[in-house]
Amino acid sequence: MVEMVFAVLIIAFIFTLFIKNNRVASIISLVVSLFPLAAFLDWGREFGINLISIGFENTMNINMAGITLHFSISPLAWFFGIMLFSLIPPILLYSYSFFSKNDGFYPFMILLMVSVMGILLSSDFLSFFLFWELMALGIFIMICRNGDRKAMVRYLSYSVLSGVLILAGIALLYHMNGTLLFAEIMLKADFETMVAITMLIIGFAIKAALMPLHTWVPPVYSTSDEPFVAFLSGGLSKIGYYGMLLLLFAMPGARVMEAYINSSIATYLLAIIGSLTAFFATFLAIFEDDLRKLLAYSSIAQLGYIAVGIGTGSSIAMAGALFQAFNHAFFKATLFLAAGSVAYRTGKWKISELGGVAYKMPLTFMAALFAIFALAAIPITSGFAAKWLLYEAAIERRYVFIAPIMLIAGVGAFLYSFRILYGVFLGENRYPDIKEAPKPMVAGMFLLVMPLIIFLIFPGYMLDMMDSFLSSAGLATISHSPYVIHTTLGNYNTIAVIVGMMFAMIPAFLIYVLRKQHLVDFEDNFIGGEIPSLYEHISMHAAHNFYKPLKDVVMPYLEGGATSIYSSLYKVVEKIADGARKIYDGVVQDYAIYVMLFLLIIAGWLLW
Amino acid sequence: MKYEEWSKISRIASKKSLWILHFCTGCGAIEMPPVMTSRFDMERFGMAPMATPRQADVLLITGYLTVKTLKRVIQVYEQMQDPKYVVAFGSCPINGGMYWDSYNTINQLDKYLPVDLYLAGCMPRPEGIINAMMELMEMIEKGEARGWEKYRKNYEKYKKNQEMAFKFGKVEE
Amino acid sequence: MVTVVSGLINVLIIAIYATVAMMIGILFMGIGRKIVARVHNRVGPPIYQGFIDIAKLILKKTNITHGWIYDLALLFSITGIVLTILFLPIGGVKLLSTEGDAFLVLYLLAIPALGFALGAGASGNPNSAIGVMRALVMMLSYELPFVISMVALMIYYDTTSIAEIVASQYGKWAILIPPFAISAAVADMALQGMLMEAPFDIPIAPHEIASGPMAEFGGKHLGSLMIYKAGTIVAYTTLFVDLFLGGGVVMKGGIVADVVNFIVWFILIFLVFTLSLLINTSFPRFRIEQAFKFYWKYEAVLAIIALVWVYWMVIS
Repeated sequence: MVEMVFAVLIIAFIFTLFIKNNRVASIISLVVSLFPLAAFLDWGREFGINLISIGFENTMNINMAGITLHFSISPLAWFFGIMLFSLIPPILLYSYSFFSKNDGFYPFMILLMVSVMGILLSSDFLSFFLFWELMALGIFIMICRNGDRKAMVRYLSYSVLSGVLILAGIALLYHMNGTLLFAEIMLKADFETMVAITMLIIGFAIKAALMPLHTWVPPVYSTSDEPFVAFLSGGLSKIGYYGMLLLLFAMPGARVMEAYINSSIATYLLAIIGSLTAFFATFLAIFEDDLRKLLAYSSIAQLGYIAVGIGTGSSIAMAGALFQAFNHAFFKATLFLAAGSVAYRTGKWKISELGGVAYKMPLTFMAALFAIFALAAIPITSGFAAKWLLYEAAIERRYVFIAPIMLIAGVGAFLYSFRILYGVFLGENRYPDIKEAPKPMVAGMFLLVMPLIIFLIFPGYMLDMMDSFLSSAGLATISHSPYVIHTTLGNYNTIAVIVGMMFAMIPAFLIYVLRKQHLVDFEDNFIGGEIPSLYEHISMHAAHNFYKPLKDVVMPYLEGGATSIYSSLYKVVEKIADGARKIYDGVVQDYAIYVMLFLLIIAGWLLW
Repeated sequence: MKYEEWSKISRIASKKSLWILHFCTGCGAIEMPPVMTSRFDMERFGMAPMATPRQADVLLITGYLTVKTLKRVIQVYEQMQDPKYVVAFGSCPINGGMYWDSYNTINQLDKYLPVDLYLAGCMPRPEGIINAMMELMEMIEKGEARGWEKYRKNYEKYKKNQEMAFKFGKVEE
Repeated sequence: MVTVVSGLINVLIIAIYATVAMMIGILFMGIGRKIVARVHNRVGPPIYQGFIDIAKLILKKTNITHGWIYDLALLFSITGIVLTILFLPIGGVKLLSTEGDAFLVLYLLAIPALGFALGAGASGNPNSAIGVMRALVMMLSYELPFVISMVALMIYYDTTSIAEIVASQYGKWAILIPPFAISAAVADMALQGMLMEAPFDIPIAPHEIASGPMAEFGGKHLGSLMIYKAGTIVAYTTLFVDLFLGGGVVMKGGIVADVVNFIVWFILIFLVFTLSLLINTSFPRFRIEQAFKFYWKYEAVLAIIALVWVYWMVIS
């Protein structure tokens, strides 16, 4: 039945290419997007999780010109499939109102669905690479729709680099093993395998936006359409980590390398890079004024945590990484969609130009607020459980460098989340005439927030979903009940938190209800006794250059960042090339000397 | 709900914790630092200086009041939360003091705001201020400091006077 | 039946401890003002002044609100701080602290702060926004040395649970182990920032930004923030005592031990709070950049020295 899902998607792709009406296209693709979701939900039975029962087949082989492409479901792919495909329907529901006409968004969204499905189901490197490139192409077309040159060039060059590295890595592995099937490849701890794995990991890290390979992210995220960016940041960036996990933990032969991985400096390096990514991207996000760029840096930072989990490699860390990937998919998609609805009503992206949107768009604000709780890992959403697992893992392994860096990046997340909350949603009521976002958009955002609340109460269900992956990767499963997680170091009992919170709320609630209050006008504020209404305009919004004192201290150390590394690399290359060019000075005698020297060397070598 | 119906507890709490707004308009403000600091120490009566009218209970008019400042004082007074009290310092808010014939100061504060307590002198000494505050506390406990209620009741009258003052300078004559 | 009854008794004990802790916090506000007054050579208010202030604020006749987001400050601040106290062992009594750990406490402490920040933002007062900005930068500043010290403790005792850390320190407080003496000194300065005492009272600087985030709060909202303030005094000093001073546990077993431990805990948090007040009265206010540099330069280096020392002790 895998064929059927693919067939439906491809037919829908062709069909939506020719539909101009946005709403029809949205509904068609929404219906179509439920097929892969249903398939993945159904395949849960393979891993002991019966959600729905349809009875889809889960393997497929395609013979093309003497080459066989193999498809089957693995526990890791199942987890990522559930995550990515439950992300898509709310986004398509959101697009129902967001776009005014269908100019290529839906068909290529479906194409991305096809490619994601292919990547997740492929069980040999050839089909993996084919669908990987299809995904890269789909993303590129989506970026081209908005036609920002910087974004296109940056994405294309990184994407080509990533494709080449992955292809080279696959070729090396094929050279050593003589097979492309995941099941038959045996990874050995020798030099060639290490080179191949390093190339593959760098290729995947580009998609996952690990520093310093992240510079394509801010321009792409800040110029593309929000529903697409929500899927790109929430969903597709995880595919890079899917590749890493597949390579390091999910391949049958990889167990040979387990001892190597666990003691290796290479994965520790990955964890350090992940934590530094989280740290620096957080600081870059704090000072960013463009809402979309802020969210882009925040994406990079949150994805860094996943790299820490993968690099740490213990079962707690792995659970934390997958949990973080899941949470990030939903809260970051919500935040991008919320940013999209704010821009849909106000037409502004700069945080310093926005303000007071929450008073007129309370539902959008609610959704964004929950997403921010998850982002900042406040224990009112499931965001906390993921970060908690990662911290536990770092302490368990005694990673004295990584643990404080991650914790401080977590605090930094408060800083930029407050910037979103205050700069965009609260503060001065600058847009008194706007309306709430259209209902489908609000519904889409709230659907995305739902999992964050469900897995707050029952983080155990999330761990159930990864159990079969952890055991297939040869890692111990984490002992848990639906609402308690036990690690060797400590417990996290969500019921205790929630019941405790309810009890703790009693005094506050009594004070709130028993003492009556009255609403005052917004301008009724104490500003040194001044009366704002007496003047034409006094700006009461302090969002411009919000963290200036911090910026003055920190920014000299962050100046340029990764871009300056690249530009200095560029300068070095240019200098060398310039030096090399000087050989061709246009003097015939010099050329004659070169020829003579060359002949002399040849002669000397022959005589030797 | 009337003032008399308030429980005794709330009045005692109000009396024992008078928070004063730092909104000092005239020369009398200079007498406040000694009252706050070691020599006279108003904190022993539970009084404390506060930064904004939302938090404060007592509004001190410390001296002469120009029309321009009056506008701000009224804004600040209306931002304070009931029960709130006004204490007028020195002779200027009573009858204009040495500025009685100035073109831009008001002469009689209680035309515009309900004054609970006047404190005569030019300027009152810190002992006088402490004494006035003790007096205000007694008034609060007895339920006599009801300026905020008066302001609500006679809001139109006060508003009219205020408007007149903003237009013509002063309305006393 | 027996489990239900014992469960209810547990709930009751937890509720009593939380209430008493909040009362102690309010009492400490009065005591703190008294101590500051004595340092200033003043008489100072009575020690029960905190109760009077909160009662007055809550009994105010009118209360203003700037909308439902503004009210979140009231709801979140008390809820969050009481919840945090439930997850801290008080005098060896574990309360809920076996159900969560130090990371949970760190993030629970963010709930009231975030609610407070939301309320301040929704009030629309520019001073409030500046105050919240300063508070968040302060948070970023003091958390670095504090988490490094905490990680050192966690690695040494090989647990993240505060209850376990307290239990492991029975008989030998962490502060008596040389590297943790450095950690404790660092954490005490971080505590100064957490309690917003001088020289780190930057976020609420009343003379610069009209008491910052609290500028628009009055009546019951300000009352709830004072309760929150009282709670933070207990929560942060208890966190410090639990981490470095063995939670005040000097006896084991029985009700007598609980009472003795409670008294020792009370004395210890009082001493920690007094120390912070004495620093408060002796220093003027830093600027926010100076505070950031202080924590990330000097404090962090000291904390890292302690961490490296502990790491060396653990692996050898």
